[in-house]
Amino acid sequence: MDVKYISPFVESVYHTMQTMLGEAPKRKEVVMKNDNHAHGDISGIVGFASDKIYGSVALTFPTETAVKCYNMMVGDNVDIITDDVRDTVGELTNIIAGGAKKIYADQELSFDISIPTIVLGKNHVLSHKVGTPVVIVPFVIGEHPFVVEISVKFEKNAAFKSKTPKTEAASAQG
Amino acid sequence: MKILVVDDSAIMRRIISNNLKSAGHSDIVEAGNGAEAMEKLGGIELILTDWNMPVMDGLTFVKEVRKDTSYSKVPIIMVTTEGAKTEVMEALKNGVNNYIVKPFTPETLMEKLNATLGK
Repeated sequence: MDVKYISPFVESVYHTMQTMLGEAPKRKEVVMKNDNHAHGDISGIVGFASDKIYGSVALTFPTETAVKCYNMMVGDNVDIITDDVRDTVGELTNIIAGGAKKIYADQELSFDISIPTIVLGKNHVLSHKVGTPVVIVPFVIGEHPFVVEISVKFEKNAAFKSKTPKTEAASAQG
Repeated sequence: MKILVVDDSAIMRRIISNNLKSAGHSDIVEAGNGAEAMEKLGGIELILTDWNMPVMDGLTFVKEVRKDTSYSKVPIIMVTTEGAKTEVMEALKNGVNNYIVKPFTPETLMEKLNATLGK
């Protein structure tokens, strides 16, 4: 999968985390996913689709990272996954998908996004669209890891208007 | 001033409400979707609403509010992930007074709120 198709999501991750948590994450090396299991304890997943493009984006956290993000967002001090922590993961996933949607719309590739679904549990299964490759983009925020899984498929004759969208992520490492 | 905050995310409602309280607004009512919000309109002087919500979405809610002569002039700010120009235009066309794209900072929220209220 061409990096330009995942860069809107990566850019949205940076912007969302920086704005909502006050701290920008650092990205690690991108890898292709070769199984259905999530790399963490809690995931938010959002699907998107139009007549030109479809796919899904998932945000997966170990418990400690999910709790830290929640505490940073609302100034609380919990240490387990509560309903509020679940809601935080869902809302972050929703905002990241929305940010990528705007960048894609600027490239005349509009799509609708679903309301986020939350999945919990060690090694839980994350189902992206069957037959579409899934890219894993690992991040750390502070010392806390999380991953973003991105699956994008274009219909025939659909592509970015310009060769590379103008995003910071397009020129970032990896 | 009585303010209605509508969002299906309890965390987002909490973040918005906390910011409003920090700015001195203590009379805040919350709803998890447009249908629930329709039941809480009594005395409301400002509405902040999300767009994508289950049961009744924010745009439908705005249209319903604008149909009601009692609330047709109540200022409405849409706070949403829908940031594309076409969506912003559609919201404004249907009666939204101001628009905030998530993610937002507390400063952006208060700037838009004050601009909407003419402060």
